[in-house]
Amino acid sequence: MSEHRIEVIINGEPVTARVPARRLLSDFLRDDLGLTGTKRGCETGICGACSVMVDGRLVKSCLSLAVQADGQPIDTIEGLADGETLHPIQECFINGGGLQCGYCTPGFVMATCALLAANPRPTTDEIRQALNGNLCRCTGYTQIVESIHHAAEKLHGN
Amino acid sequence: MSESPIGRDTPQVNARAKVTGRAQYAGDIQLPGMLHAKVLRSPHPHARIRRIDTRAARALPGVKAVLTGADAPDALWGVHHKERRILAREVVRFAGEEVVAVAATSDEIARDALELVTIDYEPLPALFTPEAALAEGATGIHPGRNNVAHEIAFERGSVEAGFAQADLIHEATYTTHAQYPGYLEPMATVAQVDGHGRLQVWASTQSVFLARMRLAAALELPVSRIRVMQTTTGGGFGGKIVEDANSLIAALLALKTGQPVRLVNNRLEDFLGACSSLPERLTLKLGMTREGRIVAKEVTILADCGAYCGLTNEVMHVSAMRSDNMHRLENVRSHAVLSYTHTPPHGAFRGFGGTQMLFALNSHIDTMAEKLGLDPVAIHRLNAIQAGDTSIHGWEVGSTGLMECLDQCTEAIHWAEKRGRRDQAGRRRRGVGLAAAMHVSGNRTIGNWDGSTVVVKLNEDGRALVHSGECDMGQGAMTMLSQVIAHELTLPIEHIQVVPPDTDTSPFAIGTLASRVTMSGGHAAILAARKAKAQLLALAAELSGHAEETLTLIDGAVRLRDADNGEIVADLATLARQHIWRHGGEGLQVSATWDPQTRMHDDDLYGNIASAYSFAAQAVEVEVDTETGRVEVVESFVSDDCGKAFNPLAIHGQTNGATVQAIGWALYEQLQVEEGRIMNGNFADYTLATADAVPMLASGIVESNDPKGPYGAKGASETAILPGAAAIANAVHDAVGVRITDLPITPEKVLAALRAKEDADHA
Repeated sequence: MSEHRIEVIINGEPVTARVPARRLLSDFLRDDLGLTGTKRGCETGICGACSVMVDGRLVKSCLSLAVQADGQPIDTIEGLADGETLHPIQECFINGGGLQCGYCTPGFVMATCALLAANPRPTTDEIRQALNGNLCRCTGYTQIVESIHHAAEKLHGN
Repeated sequence: MSESPIGRDTPQVNARAKVTGRAQYAGDIQLPGMLHAKVLRSPHPHARIRRIDTRAARALPGVKAVLTGADAPDALWGVHHKERRILAREVVRFAGEEVVAVAATSDEIARDALELVTIDYEPLPALFTPEAALAEGATGIHPGRNNVAHEIAFERGSVEAGFAQADLIHEATYTTHAQYPGYLEPMATVAQVDGHGRLQVWASTQSVFLARMRLAAALELPVSRIRVMQTTTGGGFGGKIVEDANSLIAALLALKTGQPVRLVNNRLEDFLGACSSLPERLTLKLGMTREGRIVAKEVTILADCGAYCGLTNEVMHVSAMRSDNMHRLENVRSHAVLSYTHTPPHGAFRGFGGTQMLFALNSHIDTMAEKLGLDPVAIHRLNAIQAGDTSIHGWEVGSTGLMECLDQCTEAIHWAEKRGRRDQAGRRRRGVGLAAAMHVSGNRTIGNWDGSTVVVKLNEDGRALVHSGECDMGQGAMTMLSQVIAHELTLPIEHIQVVPPDTDTSPFAIGTLASRVTMSGGHAAILAARKAKAQLLALAAELSGHAEETLTLIDGAVRLRDADNGEIVADLATLARQHIWRHGGEGLQVSATWDPQTRMHDDDLYGNIASAYSFAAQAVEVEVDTETGRVEVVESFVSDDCGKAFNPLAIHGQTNGATVQAIGWALYEQLQVEEGRIMNGNFADYTLATADAVPMLASGIVESNDPKGPYGAKGASETAILPGAAAIANAVHDAVGVRITDLPITPEKVLAALRAKEDADHA
């Protein structure tokens, strides 16, 4: 198995690592860097629990290799809060009941970041469509959608 | 003054860790020297294991253990029948059964090692259906027994006499399929043997004490040599009670290697290793008067538990009798048979057998209402059990809000206007359907104890630590306990810390099942907090010289009752410290237990097994595409009688989640099992509903204030899953006039039924 040297910027911090060619980005983040907020839920790109941002794009990290991220900034759930101050999306998921068991939550929060960056005030249907790459078994989605509306309002006003 | 959190929308107390990615699930744990485990499963539904060659796998650098059935203890594990080995020995009984377990220094090496194991199987004839397994002369799936895993039969009153009074008798057979729990966190365990030779297990589980009991039995270890700690648990839905092999295998590998071992199912392994819900074929015969009163009910069930029966005996029991308690019945007869087959095992699932029977019963009531020219809502009302009634099986119903649930649902869905729109002509037709349900809040039959213990410790800063062994799997048990303690001690909820369940430090607990935690754990928390409060008031009286009855606890401080602005005598932090720093002092720590005044049912299955019963109703509107047969739920309203909503945010969340799980079961989710093999064990082919596939859900709460519930509350996490499938089936019938009795309601079945109806209409 060939090894490769990669340089990435994880949540603003430069990181250099040697990884086997077959190392998934999700495994690299979780097992090599200890960033376990990124979850493994299906390993087939369906559940979205492993969603992270690579160079500003929402990526399912179980479907990409660590080497593919070489040279790019990666943002994970761990980098979202500003120290002790939660990001408004995180606040809104908490207060709106947008989470229960929490396992899918990092993925939904990252997907919401991507959505609100592209569409600051989405409609309910736009939110529902944008979330179709993420599975949640606990909430039935309604309170997630409501949480995202609140977050959009908080971030971008009326 | 801090307001009581009871009755207010209260975010989960552990939500911050979840939104920041810092909540630790079992698969996130990394211990020094930790090994990674992998499991090789049988590809055959039934085979003899002739030989297993592990030499090449063991020789692979980094591999620390390759275990087979020969390395596992002789003990058998299981709930009612001890019948399963940690790793199969000599014979495998389902495709997916665990045969070889590997521990290696990395996940990749463990995976590579599995590929080096060769197993010589002799495939044996397999029994795939209950009919085949129960046929005369069928080989016993377990040695020395026939294939009946369990059988229930009872009659109360006289069913014959009841049918003789009936104006309408209707009989139909319904089939219900297995649903995979689909929690987002696959099963995961980390196990290690500590320096004192004790086994430590971090597990994603609904019950640390049941997990410990099972580990002890299966590994032939004293209970006290094992410590089980619950990690943040990513959903359970019944699947993480006691029926999977994940933690047993991780523990066995830890014992054999002496190193920490982590075993995390991938999704396919979880489909193969977890129990799905119990598939049942139910034949229901009801007799009704022309007014819609049920005068006789006869139920016949044939259920398929798969290769190992686990908790399905209890599940089938619920299907066979629970729904009888919803109604004022005099004549019932039930016969239920549970059969082993060479298929993946089934087990506990949210609703616990209620969903199966309530699909049949609510479909049946809808059908008979039409035949009698009645509104099905009227039949539900006419037969509904009332507060103060004792049901035919001895259940004492202290409260029921079912009538209000029906009101809320019919109003929300505009039942009167929308029901029976016969004039629809287009390709897409809409219909509305409704169903009603009942569930227990606790269950004495678990083992003739249904109690819970809560320990409250007051720290020197006047804040409380709470120990309970009841597990939070995402439903919010920790939040519920925090709310109760905060309310009783008049503290802000942030000053309450619930410690995660740990068998070494938590009081014994049954765990999260049977919708029992708010009932038993809630009561225990009230008692413990009041005990702590009494000690605080006594100490404050002693130290201040005020008479105890002049003191009260408000806003986190002991105050004079009569003073205009409640003069503070002592704050809790001061009292907590003074409780220690005196002759004979100690840290303030209290324990209280609440065991419901319920009865284990007798040999005749009679007895009040739960202290309260929750009710729910659901109305849905569906749109049926008559060209494709596709059914879409366009609106849903569930009304849940949870007694008293401690936390409306959580109740609506539970209800919404249950609603979508029910929609999935009714319409989309189906395990494809061919020749005993699960063919769609992944989320691409086994389709959970996504956000764009379900409507924005609406739900209502009815507060019937149960006299035996904590502050009037009853369980609220399971009832809401019960009515969904029938409500949808009834709405499909309302839309296009076809009755689907065989779940799931797939486009193929709807189209076939529409064609059959067309042929019949033209005949």
